[in-house]
Amino acid sequence: MEPHTIPELLPGTLYLLILRSLSRGPLHGYAIVKRIKDASREGLRIEDGSLYPALNRMLVKGWLTSEWGVSENNRKARFYRLTPEGRRQLDTEAGEFDRLVRAIQMVMRTA
Amino acid sequence: MAFWNEIGNRVAWLFRRSRFDREFEEEVRFHIQARADELEQAGLTGADALRQARREFGSTLRSWEETRSAWQMRWLEDLGSDLHYAARSLRRNRALALAAVGSLALGIGANTTIFSVAREALFSQPSCRDFQSLVQISVGGNTWVPMSQYRFLEDTHAFDGLAGMNIQMVVNWRDGNRSYRLAGTRVTGNFFEVVGIPVAMGRPIERSESNVAVITHGFWTKHLGGDPNVVGRTLALDGEPYTVIGVLPRDHRMLAGFGFTPDLYLTKDPGEVMLYARLPRGMTRQAAYTRLQPICRELDRVYPDVNRQWAKEVRLSAVGGVERLQEGGQEAIPVAAFFVMLVVVTAIVVLIACANVSSLLLARAFTRSREFAIRMSLGGSRGRLVRQLLAESLLLALLGTGAGLLLNLWLTSLLSGVHIPTPLPIELVIQPDRMLLAYSVALAFVVTLATGLVPALKGTRAGIGGALKEGGRQAGPAGYALRNALVVGQLAVSILLLSVGLLFIRNLMYATSFNAGFDTTHTLVATYQTVWGSYTPRKFAALVDTALDRLRALPGVEAASPASAVPLNPFLAFNRPGGQFRPDSGSRTVRAQYNSNAVGPDYFRIMGIPILQGRAFADSDRIGAPEVVILNENLARRLFGNSNPVGHTLRFPNNRDARVVGVARNCKYVTLGEDHASAVYEPFFQQNHSAFAHFFVRTRSAPETMVRKVDETLAGLDGGAAVETHAMGEVFAGALLPSRLGAAILGSMALFGLLLASIGLYGVLLYATQQRIREIGIRVALGATPANVLAMVVGQSLRLVTAGAGFGLAVAAIAVRPLSMFLVPEVRPADPMNFVMVAAVLALVAGLATVAPTARALRVDPAVALRHE
Repeated sequence: MEPHTIPELLPGTLYLLILRSLSRGPLHGYAIVKRIKDASREGLRIEDGSLYPALNRMLVKGWLTSEWGVSENNRKARFYRLTPEGRRQLDTEAGEFDRLVRAIQMVMRTA
Repeated sequence: MAFWNEIGNRVAWLFRRSRFDREFEEEVRFHIQARADELEQAGLTGADALRQARREFGSTLRSWEETRSAWQMRWLEDLGSDLHYAARSLRRNRALALAAVGSLALGIGANTTIFSVAREALFSQPSCRDFQSLVQISVGGNTWVPMSQYRFLEDTHAFDGLAGMNIQMVVNWRDGNRSYRLAGTRVTGNFFEVVGIPVAMGRPIERSESNVAVITHGFWTKHLGGDPNVVGRTLALDGEPYTVIGVLPRDHRMLAGFGFTPDLYLTKDPGEVMLYARLPRGMTRQAAYTRLQPICRELDRVYPDVNRQWAKEVRLSAVGGVERLQEGGQEAIPVAAFFVMLVVVTAIVVLIACANVSSLLLARAFTRSREFAIRMSLGGSRGRLVRQLLAESLLLALLGTGAGLLLNLWLTSLLSGVHIPTPLPIELVIQPDRMLLAYSVALAFVVTLATGLVPALKGTRAGIGGALKEGGRQAGPAGYALRNALVVGQLAVSILLLSVGLLFIRNLMYATSFNAGFDTTHTLVATYQTVWGSYTPRKFAALVDTALDRLRALPGVEAASPASAVPLNPFLAFNRPGGQFRPDSGSRTVRAQYNSNAVGPDYFRIMGIPILQGRAFADSDRIGAPEVVILNENLARRLFGNSNPVGHTLRFPNNRDARVVGVARNCKYVTLGEDHASAVYEPFFQQNHSAFAHFFVRTRSAPETMVRKVDETLAGLDGGAAVETHAMGEVFAGALLPSRLGAAILGSMALFGLLLASIGLYGVLLYATQQRIREIGIRVALGATPANVLAMVVGQSLRLVTAGAGFGLAVAAIAVRPLSMFLVPEVRPADPMNFVMVAAVLALVAGLATVAPTARALRVDPAVALRHE
């Protein structure tokens, strides 16, 4: 079952967004939400409640690993890191997403 | 790949579930705290910021549930709870559970044991290094070659080593003042090196060593008391000192296969050897063959032999596994077929047991159909119910298989190391292994589906409304039909089992009654072997004469005679030459193969073999006197037709002429199963013997009482000679072994199958009667007599039994045909008498199974029955 809590996101894009935001290094859950919010200039918001199920599904699939560390303000936090498999997944999903968006745009402009 | 990673991750998660909850809580707390910190920086007060952050996060419970479900394997957890529930429901029905597990365990125990034994006897790998690159070589269509030819082949260095062994040798071991016959395998010096046989203690035999021996674990423990300092000990073998240099491990499996186990390996000129070659790395057998061909042609040039050409029929065969069996040819087929039959028979028993369990589960599923209907009407899915019912049969199958495996371990440990009473030293080393485990798991799976699937599907199919309306009391016609079909099937296959079992029991009865053509009740036989080379034929003949005189002088001995072969004994077997005979040395030739035995004058009297025409041998038939022979009836008829052969001359295939002086009645020579076998007797003293003789002794009292006397008398003649004395009946145990084994296993399987089938019949009849108590009550109230009720129940039983017996007999009549290969010719599989007996036994047992249900039906009191709910 895909997360249904963010209807404004295209199905499956949540994984893509998480993978992309982790591609520059490990982050904890809140930082992922923040990175996506900031990068989209608040255009995209991930519901906090649906973030953790998604992260855990990705752990099961072996795209991510997690470890406990210390946050920027010295609190114990759980950091997620991309695995090589996760990086491959990011590449394929990003490519697919690009093709999809371009196709939709083409339809919007010409049809 | 990714799939398995995922499963692995999930399974790993199962083990840290409690940590997961704690960590999730901590992570969410951090998340909310981080958001609250941010909100506080934006200007909210601490408490407001925290409240706001919590609100934004939403329901932590839902998030927790969704997160958790990311990891869960629903089916696994469901299975756990299903099994738990099944265990509870089986505990409540202890009788059912015990009956089901017990019958499955016996069936599976028998089946896996046969599997283990067959695997060990037929497919085991010999103890050696890399058996794939080791091949057995036969040249000139013969697996045996003389030593000079062996040396020639080895000197070519065509392979990474060529070794030879001779398993057929007997060595005399002198221990204290007694000598024993040992099965000693003589090997070439490089044998251990080429084959790569692991030793448990000491070291293997090395090239150019002499007078050393490696002993087997069995010989070490049984004859040397497991002496820990055995390495270095000296054994007097055939009058020479041999140093024990190594002990083989307990699970040593010899290259010869089939459980053949000698007492020791020793370096001594083997005379002739079987060849084993180690192929160089990467060389295929085809390439090895191509390399061997020209060498064999060279061999033909160097050692020309009129009787065989070495380069003809060159063959390289595997030394282990299925391949050895395929290439084993003639000898292996009946053995393999016998095991296949045993596996099939025991599998049928498992099936009958399954049918019983299935029938019990079916009955239960129908009585519970009201519960199922309620659960389905409340939204429970049928799949879920089916799974739950299957969990019950899975549990039963697992318990049954587990108990069966324990039975298997116990039985095989009994069988393993048992010295099978054959003159051949055969011992099987049966150990549980992964194959057995895999086989059992597969069996458990099959049993689960066979017992559970149909009851589960049928039991849950009843429509919601129907089951509730009927009150769940009636099984419905579908349920009856299915259980009836199961019982008919059970009865039919138990007919098949009974037919097979009966044939083998009759075979055993026939074999034991021993119409082998001679009398064994007052006979004993001593096998006498002097150290090779210590007598000339003339001196040995004098020794045998002395031995006979001393034996005859013993009180209680009626007669004594030497012989070169013991009938019905594969190890002391007859020579079986054959070729063109020329009666009256004329031009007419008759081709025949015959069993040859050299016997003394009293042999026929001792064995109770009547001389039908002419005379027995006389003391005067010795070297120098005219050569004479006695034929058996079969050969006399083949050579001379109906005319009297006595006085005629016969030219043997080797161009020797001998005069026929008598015709002896036919008897069995090599196996009880043989038919129309030919035999030639020659006078013992007209042949050259120099080391070996059997003494046949006829006693006045039971032969067992004379064994020691005879043994001591013979042992006193020459201390170096090995003597082994047994009552004749014991010696024939080997010949009877296949019949005994077959009768014991198949007879007990047949009885067991019949028992299970009759329990099945009993269960169905009793259940049907109980379901119809109300109906019977009404009938009785309306005036049905006890005779009518009787007819009702007995009629049902009769219908089932007739149908089962009909199917069973039809199948059995065809299926038992090929069994004739295991039976003596006098027991014919097609004999209608067999089937009459089988049907009678089944009718009797079925009758017994009907008694209780009938009694129950007759006891029905209409007043009680009408209130019966």
